[in-house]
Formats: sequence, structure tokens, C-alpha cells
Amino acid sequence: MLGAEWARALVVQQPGLAPAALLLGGAALAAVAVGWRAEQLGLGTSRFGLRILGGLALGAVLLLPAAARSGAAPLLPAGLAFAAIAVSIGEEIAFRGVLYAALEAVGGAPLAILGSTILWTLAHVLSHPPAFLGAVAAAGLLLALWRWACKDLVGPILGHVIADLAL
Amino acid sequence: MRRAALLGVAAITYLLAAWMVAPGFYDGFGPQQPYNWTCPPPQAGANIKPSSGHLDVNVINGQSEPSSAYTQDGQVVIGFLPGAFDSTGKTMISVDITPLPTCPQPKGLRLVTNVYQITATAPLMLPSSMSMLYSNLEPQPDDVYRADDPDGPWRSIGHASSAPPFVIITSTTKLGYFAAGYKNSSPASGAVVVGGGQLLPIIVAVLIVVVVLAGLPMAVLRRRRASGGVEEETEDA
Repeated sequence: MLGAEWARALVVQQPGLAPAALLLGGAALAAVAVGWRAEQLGLGTSRFGLRILGGLALGAVLLLPAAARSGAAPLLPAGLAFAAIAVSIGEEIAFRGVLYAALEAVGGAPLAILGSTILWTLAHVLSHPPAFLGAVAAAGLLLALWRWACKDLVGPILGHVIADLAL
Repeated sequence: MRRAALLGVAAITYLLAAWMVAPGFYDGFGPQQPYNWTCPPPQAGANIKPSSGHLDVNVINGQSEPSSAYTQDGQVVIGFLPGAFDSTGKTMISVDITPLPTCPQPKGLRLVTNVYQITATAPLMLPSSMSMLYSNLEPQPDDVYRADDPDGPWRSIGHASSAPPFVIITSTTKLGYFAAGYKNSSPASGAVVVGGGQLLPIIVAVLIVVVVLAGLPMAVLRRRRASGGVEEETEDA
């Protein structure tokens, strides 16, 4: 997962390669879910309305600081929108889905929450300035706690997609 | 309730952490470094003044060599092809990129980057490729604009269709003053007004309540099922 994230962060800076790098990076991350049942990853369909509501709320919280600072939130260029969606889904499936489930099986919820948050933060070391990593870690912790508290990955996926589309 | 409380604490922690850095959380699509502003917008936070750049272009056999001039912070890069300058009678050509100390806002235009003056000791003969970084604190610029004088008139010199995120690329056949921006008569592409600073405390409070309320029913349902002897992992099945 770290390799896929770091490779994507390096390639995305090359002119013309950003959409492809993001799409492939998202697909590579999502591929780690092969062999896992949807229920193990928090992707069930029960209480789906609540999951959607939770995702909207998470997206609003993730966006709030930037929106309040800027007064206007620049949207991603259209060409990057689909790629951003792919990366968001891939990251959630990989980190809060597969990695969380694997760590939870080994050491319970505390290890799953902390482990997925730490690896998620490390995965963003190359794509973010050091000053941003605290916010990245805090976002990872929030999403992992949601995954733990609600046994749900739909909310984090939706919230992550919303945040990435606007930023 | 413990789970909902932890979620609330995590949401507050995130908001504080994200508020401490501009522009807040984003996921790999933002600029690699915060933009160095001549006139930072209020939301920019700590700011470093933009850098200037200097280049000496050698003239070999009457032709200027290919090279690139750039500011030390990398916010402006301009590349020169072989023979890009009229190098008659010169052995070296000096190029300087200097951020303008003021921030002109010409009528009908919204400039979203610093204004840079690019000068050379010889006139350009060939188009030169130029790239400018822009910040995600401002709407995406539509074009690069050039002027002979900071007071205008400013004219669009277009932009290339392909560029990395938060970089705008164009080419120019003349040096002068450059900035990226958009026409003020219509909203910038890719911009949407979302909120205002004075409502922030209310918005924060409402959103925290929304998150807690959204998580609470699911946590309660899980607790009921768990106490009823149902395995938590089977909830989603």
C-alpha cells in the first residue's frame, strides 16, 4: 500500500500523467481487497441511509477548515475528478477496509485504529508538505474511528470522495 | 455513548489540526508547497515572500544557448530555446525575474498570482515556454496575462491544455509583467462559494452535532445487537 501511494505521489507531479497515475493508484489500492468479503470491510448495505448521512457529515467536516479559510473552495479540474474518486475509494478500501480488518483480527480495534492511521499518514509523506501531515493524521484517525464506532466503510468512502472532489 | 464521544473528539481534533495549516486537508492534489505571496490573502496563514531569479545566458557563435530562468522558490519558470534572443554584439544575456512588490488588480481581471516582471538584456526572438504556480487558496486561473506596465493594459497570452495540478503553462514572445488570473465578469472556472469566516463557530458546532448524531444511531444499534447476543461482525451481513 505504501509503495502504491508513494509511486502515485511521484508520478502525479509529471505533466500529463496525473489522471492516469491517480486512476492506476486507486485501482492498485482497491485490488488489495480481493479475497475479502464486503462485510469484513464494513461495506454492508444495512442501514444504508445512515451510512450515507454519515458520509455527508464526514465530508462536511473534512471540508470545513479549507472552506472557511478560503470563503471559496476551488473544485478540482474536471479531468481529475474521476481520478480523485478512484483514489478516494481505493484509499478507503485499502486503509480503513483491508488494513483495518487485518489489524483488528490480529490485535483488536485499538491496533486497527492506530495502525491504519499511522500507515495512512506515512502513505501521504511524499504527497504532502510536512506541515500538513498532522491534519492528514487527524483525518485518518477520524475516519478510522468512524469505521470502528459504526462498523462502516461507506461513510468514510463518501466523506473522502466529497473532500477530494472539492480540494 | 463512548464511541460517539470519541468521534466528536476526533472531529474536533481534525478541525483544529486542519485549521492550523492552510488550506486544510487535501489528498495529494494540492500544491507541494504553500504559495509565497506578495500580498497574502487573509486565509494564507504564515507567508514567505516570493523569490526572484536570475540567469546568465551564454552566447556562443552568435547564438544564445538554451536555458531556463526560474525564481528560487520555483513559482515561475521560463525556458529559452537555442537562439531565443537577439544576441547581436553580445557574449552574454542576463535574465531577471522579479516579483512586483505591489499587487495590481486591473479592472475586469482578477489576478490570482503574484505579478512577476521578467526582463532580459536582449529582446526575445522565439516563443518561450513559461510556467507559473498558483495557489489553491484562490480560484483556478483561466489564462496567463501579460502587460508592458503593471497598470496595464493586461492581455491574455492563453494557457496550454496540459499541465500538472496547480501549474499554468503558456508561451510568450515578449517579456514584461506576467500574472495568472481570470476575467472578472464571470466566475472563475472551478470555483464555488462555500462559506464565510464569521459563521465559523456556528458551522463548527452544527457539524460536530451532525457527526455525532449520524454516528449515534449506528453505535446504539450495534450495542443493542451485541447485548442481544448477535456477533458484531455479522451486522453488515
